[in-house]
Amino acid sequence: MNQIARFGMVLGVICLLATLVLALTYQVTKPKIEEQLKKEEQAALKAISPYTDSFREKSIDGINYFEALKGGKLQGYCLRITANGYSGFIRLMAGIDLNGIITGVRVLEQQETPGLGARIDEVRPGENAPWFLRQFRGKDSRNLEVKKSIDAITGATISSRAVTEGITKAVVEFLSNIHKGK
Amino acid sequence: MRLFREFIKGLWRENPTFRMMLGLCPTLAVSTSVSNGLGMGIAATFVLTGSSLMVSLVRKVIPDKVRIPCFIVIIATFVTITDLFIKAFTPALGRSLGIYIPLIVVNCIVLGRAEAFASKRGPFESMIDAIGMGIGFTLALMLISAIREAAGSGSIAGIYFSKSFEAPLFMVLAPGALLTIGVLIGFMNYIFIKKKER
Repeated sequence: MNQIARFGMVLGVICLLATLVLALTYQVTKPKIEEQLKKEEQAALKAISPYTDSFREKSIDGINYFEALKGGKLQGYCLRITANGYSGFIRLMAGIDLNGIITGVRVLEQQETPGLGARIDEVRPGENAPWFLRQFRGKDSRNLEVKKSIDAITGATISSRAVTEGITKAVVEFLSNIHKGK
Repeated sequence: MRLFREFIKGLWRENPTFRMMLGLCPTLAVSTSVSNGLGMGIAATFVLTGSSLMVSLVRKVIPDKVRIPCFIVIIATFVTITDLFIKAFTPALGRSLGIYIPLIVVNCIVLGRAEAFASKRGPFESMIDAIGMGIGFTLALMLISAIREAAGSGSIAGIYFSKSFEAPLFMVLAPGALLTIGVLIGFMNYIFIKKKER
């Protein structure tokens, strides 16, 4: 009994110290991590919604989105999208104009297979935007289909489809919400 | 001189990846590009050094029967610190290493060194041993990932060497890792056997 109490105490003290150290580290790094996420999102916003100069975060039915503005006039929307990829979630941002035409798509986070699914975010040498995502621009977001309007990545049909379907689903839902709200 | 030997053994004679076959799971997973390999190596080296030092410092306080849970708590703490710092300061690396950073907790090299070395030796020696092992792991990762990246994606450290080279994809997938590691281990064994014969 005595021994068990001693073991428990040693382990308890070590855990307590570990928790203390972790709490401190978390406090120090938390603002930095949030700042990084914000920076990433801002960069994505600029990329997916060209020709606009400011963004306003709004929320409808619990879904947060951005209004893309130019000179104070509404030009389109930017949505955060979570798609079900081949291995885990793919977090995307998509920009659409007022007619639902896509102005750009960016991947924020993905865990797809390197060399296959991860190529949804691949930038070819000498280019500045991922080639797979570029083909979305100018297309109607409610009418996307892999192999018809979108070319899938060789060997990564699931990832290609996940991105495509994720965008369509999110946009359709969002637009119906917006129209309901008006 | 003895300290130097403890340091150098991790690089070659007792290299964790090629000689002791420890930490192969993360090695297979992250050695797809040189930058990933280097990032993982540095992260693991930091965890290894920190936890070896801590384990060595508290080795006389910890009762033998609960040593493994204690070691794991110490290791997990260092891993979480590393994870948070990577997310805060190098988000790109954090994204590409993803789940493999938290998984350093179960990397056998870290617990292996804590159990086999740091729990029996002084803090300074343990740190030297850990740094040596960490560098050995990093070098092994970089060697494997350089071969895989060059063969599988046609680039080294993100720089493509030819536009027309259509790389055989399987080299950056799991089979390529097994093949590369297998050939390298075979090569090293060959060198060691040759040395012994002489």
